[in-house]
Amino acid sequence: MDTALSVKGLRKSFGDRTVLNGVDFRVDSGELVVLLGANGSGKSTALRCVVGLTKPDAGEVKIAGKTSAAMVFQQIHLVRRRSVIDNVCAGGLAGLPLSRSLAPVLFPKELKERAMSCLERVGLADRARDKASKLSGGQQQRVAVARALCQGAKVLLADEPVSALDPAAAKQVMDLLAELAHEDGLAVAAVLHQPDLARRHADRVLGLLHGEIRLARPAGELSESDIDALYAPDLVVEA
Amino acid sequence: MKTRKYLTTFGIVAALAVAHVFAWRGAEISPGALADGWHGMARFLGEAVPPDLDWATVVQPGLEACLVTLAMGLLGTTLSVPIALALAVLGTRGRNPVVFQLARGIMSLLRATPEIVFGLIFVTAVGLGPFAGVLALLTHNIGVMGKLWSEAMDEVDPGPADALRVSGANGAQVVANAVLPAVVPALVGLLLYRLDVNVRSSLTLGVVGAGGIGFLIYQSIQLFQFKQMATYILMVLVVVIVVDLFSAAVRRRLAR
Ligand SMILES: Nc1ncnc2c1ncn2[C@@H]1O[C@H](COP(=O)(O)OP(=O)(O)OP(=O)(O)O)[C@@H](O)[C@H]1O
Ligand SMILES: [Mg+2]
Repeated sequence: MDTALSVKGLRKSFGDRTVLNGVDFRVDSGELVVLLGANGSGKSTALRCVVGLTKPDAGEVKIAGKTSAAMVFQQIHLVRRRSVIDNVCAGGLAGLPLSRSLAPVLFPKELKERAMSCLERVGLADRARDKASKLSGGQQQRVAVARALCQGAKVLLADEPVSALDPAAAKQVMDLLAELAHEDGLAVAAVLHQPDLARRHADRVLGLLHGEIRLARPAGELSESDIDALYAPDLVVEA
Repeated sequence: MKTRKYLTTFGIVAALAVAHVFAWRGAEISPGALADGWHGMARFLGEAVPPDLDWATVVQPGLEACLVTLAMGLLGTTLSVPIALALAVLGTRGRNPVVFQLARGIMSLLRATPEIVFGLIFVTAVGLGPFAGVLALLTHNIGVMGKLWSEAMDEVDPGPADALRVSGANGAQVVANAVLPAVVPALVGLLLYRLDVNVRSSLTLGVVGAGGIGFLIYQSIQLFQFKQMATYILMVLVVVIVVDLFSAAVRRRLAR
């Protein structure tokens, strides 16, 4: 498989606190990679550096395809008052002239059709006209995935996409992410806090510790001691 | 540790008690005067019923004055929108600290000065009448609404904007499709709340000569026309309740 996302030597400090200390990893097209790590280990910072929401101090990010990577968030971040379809359209505004993108009524027909097919992909085409806030958390997260798909990226990042969802909804979203990798050939990288979900859905698991990737395993080979090492309280760092 | 906590509490209570003693004297509180004046007030209220409902001399001028009051409240609110909006945007967090402090400073100054003081100033500038009232309301309202709007803008969740930025949307697209949909309902809600308050404030401005139903009430008290006063107060009651219901209903819709 070809590499869709490669990250080399990513560094980031906030003040004198070094969060990323040379992070290297790659994600291939067609695979779902799960990133594990303790609270504060820098998982979100790494993803935000990849999509450009945070400016890294150093490092190289290479992404396949014409657009940047797409991303979904734990807090979902839909515009609650707008309809589901308008939210999905909003993911595909890049490059449109302002005259076609300042309000949903102006959105071009092609964009609406593309958004509709993305909604079909996540199984929510029948809710297109509903206000986003009316949907359940799990459904909203799938709408957020559709919005990310509407961007047309080859790389999809997800920062704790299921942390706010109940187990059934979490499974649905993880199944969706796995399908997007395996069937649609996207490179998907998701931050999770549940090692069990990682074992069940991921192809590969990475572990972030002390600002570096310290663990890389096929999901099937992930052992309890791997997990313990990642989440062990570390007195040297905490002090 | 516990003793210190008790001592602090005791200190605060004692300070409050002393403050009340001074305040009581400073405000010249006199229950005796209230008891003595009670008969006067009772007579005064007795004379107010039944209200004077003469169409030509009371009701019609009263209704016209109510419209003036509403007009003052409306214009005092809407005309303040452009400057309030500009100051509110400049006064949001994460901006150049000099600009931020300056904008918040101007708004604090306008907010701290009551409408009635602006009213007195503008009456000397443009003469008696509702125009002075509108100017007074809008100046004070710029400060209050600007601050409320700034805070509403500060509270907007940056998440949806981040999500659009990631997808490659440009600044204008992000504002139009993530920031405004979140912030506009809040701003409109606050605007309606201020409309409600300003209609009530324009009543007091009548006293310093800004016209409207407030002025008629003031005048009827000065002339001991208590039956007329009663009519006007009933009208005010209706106006205030209607405006309040209207603004509350719209705000409730927006909140959904
Ligand atoms: N904008 C910022 N300014 C200052 N410090 C920050 C900023 N963003 C993150 N940090 C710090 O960087 C460290 C890593 O944060 P990050 O959010 O990347 O961790 P995380 O692995 O995603 O944690 P969690 O599992 O809790 O989501 C934390 O100590 C955090 O306080
Ligand atoms: Mg995080």
